[in-house]
Amino acid sequence: MRRLGLLVLGLVAVAATALAAQQSIAARLSGRASPEIVTLVQDLGSSAARRGLPIDPLIQKAIEGNAKGVPSERVATAVRLVYAQLDTAAAALRSAGPNSPPDTVEIAAGGFAITAGLRGRDIAELARTGRPAAAVTVGLRVAGTLAALGVPPAEAVTLVSASLRGGQAPGDLLALPGRVQSEMARGATPAQAAAGLARAAAAQARHGPPPHPGPPPHPPAPPHP
Amino acid sequence: MTKHEFDPQVKQLLDGELTLADLPAELRQEGEEALRLLAAVDREPVSLPAVTWRVMATLERRRQRRLTWLLAPALAAAAALALWLGRPANPPAAASSAMVTVRFVLVAPGAHQVSVAGTFNRWDPSATPLVRSGSADMWVATLSLAPGQHQYAFVVDGVRWVPDPTAPAIDDGFGRRNSVLTL
Amino acid sequence: MHPETGDPRRGAPSDGEVVRAVLAGDRERYAVLVERYRDRYARYAARMLGSSDAAEDAVQDAFVRAYDQLAQCQDPNKFVGWFFLILRNRCFAEQRKSRSHVSLEAASSVPTGDRSDAGTETAERRRALQEALMGLTAEQREVFVLKHVEGLSYIQIAERLNTSVPSLKMRMHRAYDKLREQLRDHA
Repeated sequence: MRRLGLLVLGLVAVAATALAAQQSIAARLSGRASPEIVTLVQDLGSSAARRGLPIDPLIQKAIEGNAKGVPSERVATAVRLVYAQLDTAAAALRSAGPNSPPDTVEIAAGGFAITAGLRGRDIAELARTGRPAAAVTVGLRVAGTLAALGVPPAEAVTLVSASLRGGQAPGDLLALPGRVQSEMARGATPAQAAAGLARAAAAQARHGPPPHPGPPPHPPAPPHP
Repeated sequence: MTKHEFDPQVKQLLDGELTLADLPAELRQEGEEALRLLAAVDREPVSLPAVTWRVMATLERRRQRRLTWLLAPALAAAAALALWLGRPANPPAAASSAMVTVRFVLVAPGAHQVSVAGTFNRWDPSATPLVRSGSADMWVATLSLAPGQHQYAFVVDGVRWVPDPTAPAIDDGFGRRNSVLTL
Repeated sequence: MHPETGDPRRGAPSDGEVVRAVLAGDRERYAVLVERYRDRYARYAARMLGSSDAAEDAVQDAFVRAYDQLAQCQDPNKFVGWFFLILRNRCFAEQRKSRSHVSLEAASSVPTGDRSDAGTETAERRRALQEALMGLTAEQREVFVLKHVEGLSYIQIAERLNTSVPSLKMRMHRAYDKLREQLRDHA
């Protein structure tokens, strides 16, 4: 009897959560999306919740399309595409190993990376670096950003993998796009810039994790008279 | 000297050391050909008005990058809580000290108003106007953003959506590009 | 091109003053130098690289690099000459990087200013010459651009590039012959 009671409570709780999610989607899209889009996002949101996918990227894309004055049909296509990208990212992350299932933050980062041009196998390779989920999440965002700068996906993944394996801190990973841009300013192509930094990261990995980073660099000193 | 090579005296003509009248008659035609070549030189001045703000925006963005390493450890905690179900992507109060200051700059000659819209302000073109700064064409805004991933674009005169030329960009799914900010 | 005496406008700070201010920490003042000189070598960069878009990237990158190396500018009052060398290196690096892709694509993008008043025939001759210029080596194209676009004398070019007038003339004369050949082949 107690078990049945707990089961009923559990079901009620799940139903209540799902209802809350639907209401939350409707509230966030209120005045910011057409009724058809609200319905679509609610449907996809239910499916996403069941599959452990994040819902926020779907909501963001719907709001964005409406704000840009895009016809509903096209917004719907874009939202479905985001869902598909999240699904692909989740599958890739799960395929990477028997570790705990990826959380929605990681999946959202993977979805972004796929939008930027990475493929499922690139996502899986980053997840296989064996680092904690938080580091992989940063790695996925950075790899996607590198791809958005023009670094070919393979080179972006090589650089970020090498950095992750080298035990680089999130701050160092986040600095990679800026460093690639600096190298590009010196005349390197995006691929060359990334390859150079990957070689440095791999060398660091061979010699162990880097020491704790020091304070940010000071502004240039005035010249001597 | 092959048939393609100018006569040395014609080269002196090209160098400005001789005039056409100085050339012997048999070289006049070649001299005129040489002068026609020089006449085709494009000496129009080239103006690059966007360079100023692009350079300053690049330097500012790199400076912000160097600051974010201090704040990165709070990134995962703030983002994980922010993305739960449909909750708006605001960081919890405890992580509010992890906000990152970002300066948006756009040069838009002839614009009457410029704003920035993105995932951090629900893509609302009226939420974050830029203000003119320094040169009449330069528009700026400074925001505090939560660490994480943001997409945005500038909106010029309320109608034209323009990606940030200095930032990485991805397809927005609607035929345009969104700029990417990874903090 | 003008001699490197800094800004002639009455009351405006000299290049040296601005450089020293930036090095002392007033980062925003760097915009003064960028604004002052961004167009000075824009035409040189456009002729060297074959398009205004490429020139914009090169000039932007050169200013960023100059900022990074500002402490190494030995004579801040001669910032613009020092900046020119950075831009020059950037243009040459671009040439090395895109050697196989440069000629037709770059030359077919009409540089700023060509659209305005020139007749179709003049525009076509200009385009043909720019395309032929892209077929020269970077060193040959540079001496041609500095002399015939920027209007410098051989002596001025030799000083700027730290080389001799005879070697410049040899480069230039080879350029003339190559241009003639290319223009004839495509006539």
